[in-house]
Amino acid sequence: MRPVAIIGTGQTNHARCRDDVSQPELVREAASRALDDAGLQPADVDAVILSNMELFEGRALPELWVGEGAFANGKPCMKIATGGTSGTSSCIAGFHQAASGLFDIVLVVGFEKHSEGHTQTGMALTDPFWDRAVASGALGNFALSISQYMAERGVSEEQAARVAVKSRRNAARNPHAHLSDANATIEDVLNSRLLAYPIHLMDMCPQSDGAAAIVVASGDKARKLSAKPAWVKAAATRHEQPYIGDIEQRLLTMRTLRDASRSAYATAGITEPLKQLDLAEIYEPVTYAELAWYEILGFCAEGEAGHLIEAGVTGIDGELPVNPSGGVLSANPVGATGVIRVAEAAAQILGRAGAHQIEGAKTALATGYGVYAWADAVILGSAV
Amino acid sequence: MSERVSVPIEMVQSWRYSSGDSMERFSNGIRHKRIEAVKCGNCQRRYLPPRPVCGNCHLSLTEWVPVSDVGTLEAWTVVYLPFLDGRTGELRDGPYGMGLIRLDGSDTTLNHFLNQNDPAKLAVGMRMRIVWRDELHGAMDDILHFEEVS
Repeated sequence: MRPVAIIGTGQTNHARCRDDVSQPELVREAASRALDDAGLQPADVDAVILSNMELFEGRALPELWVGEGAFANGKPCMKIATGGTSGTSSCIAGFHQAASGLFDIVLVVGFEKHSEGHTQTGMALTDPFWDRAVASGALGNFALSISQYMAERGVSEEQAARVAVKSRRNAARNPHAHLSDANATIEDVLNSRLLAYPIHLMDMCPQSDGAAAIVVASGDKARKLSAKPAWVKAAATRHEQPYIGDIEQRLLTMRTLRDASRSAYATAGITEPLKQLDLAEIYEPVTYAELAWYEILGFCAEGEAGHLIEAGVTGIDGELPVNPSGGVLSANPVGATGVIRVAEAAAQILGRAGAHQIEGAKTALATGYGVYAWADAVILGSAV
Repeated sequence: MSERVSVPIEMVQSWRYSSGDSMERFSNGIRHKRIEAVKCGNCQRRYLPPRPVCGNCHLSLTEWVPVSDVGTLEAWTVVYLPFLDGRTGELRDGPYGMGLIRLDGSDTTLNHFLNQNDPAKLAVGMRMRIVWRDELHGAMDDILHFEEVS
């Protein structure tokens, strides 16, 4: 396998409703920005990978409709689907394509336009024989798991609220974010509407319109085209059994994320993630998940996540900044969300993250989360 | 600038799904308030919903074991946000209680409604019992909800 790197990233301005563009136009916006960032032309792209959850928009064959917007005409083009993980899985597929020697330049684009359709429909269409009658979406699933996490680890609503405050404040430095508030407070979160106990509105990710893209290059191309490529040190993905009730340790203590991150750490030589990682862009759909995943990702011991957020360790000026971009809580166009995690991690290594740049970032973790059945982990670094 | 153009679409559609042998036996059982799980001969895990193969051991599941209508609440919530019912397309109003219940005799949990929607009265570890509908038709909504075992 050849070494591969990310040499460009591009994002749209994510918002509740981007009715100024069609889906292909939204895709083109992110794809163009990524190519510009990499200093490439559409003709330089060898293959294209797309990510989208078409049930949310109700548009069949989105890869056909938007492929042209991603400069795919006359090239290999396909869509990758692993639930919410689709974006990170698409990036990993792009890494594999370039690493295999099949292609030198792969463009990966994820997008979603939640405002055009019915997100709840997409989430409600579960197994018609088993849980269709009671399914209550990502919100219901997370709320169930949180009760168990709180009972086992004693995490508080205030500690969870601190995650949302960090997210909104970080997002104020990110021009692409959908939601931001430089003055967000714990009280704002706790006083926001209760959606499903104990999840308040500000604890939960929004539904955004947006797209994101990365340019993946083979090692030889990356060295020629970029002064400071974001090298792919490791990428791992894991799948799980189909029902939430199958999973012994539910969403918040996911074996998928534990195993994917351990595998990626082993490949990248990471034994002390808190010390060795310079930042992490993790897929946190809900505040409590970020806390639980500090523990799963080995940033702290089990039961210590609440203290980690209170001590500011994961703040933008902390020892290990988590989601300096504002994370999923501040922008969530689902098909793009995983690509955004990888793009943000890459932009940090490339030194082009703007006002939320972590100075001297050399090693970054990006993760993906899909329903309760998938997890991805990607580690990027400044050296091969 | 001219007004943005958008196309509104509304449609009614229908689907029909096949159960497979395992779910067929389960569905015929709950028509008579009989719950059965399948057990893996290798890892001994007792699965609900029943299925033909143990996904962890990759072995066929052929042994059926009885499961109680009483179990333990492993996780719970109260949903306030109205959520779309994936059978009808209509909104289900909140607040309603939901739980993951591990029925005695099963190693997996079942997600269903609770008759309690006061967070102060719900806790992990509570013992819960199935409340059946009066008319049974062999589907999961034959279970109306779970109630605390007094």
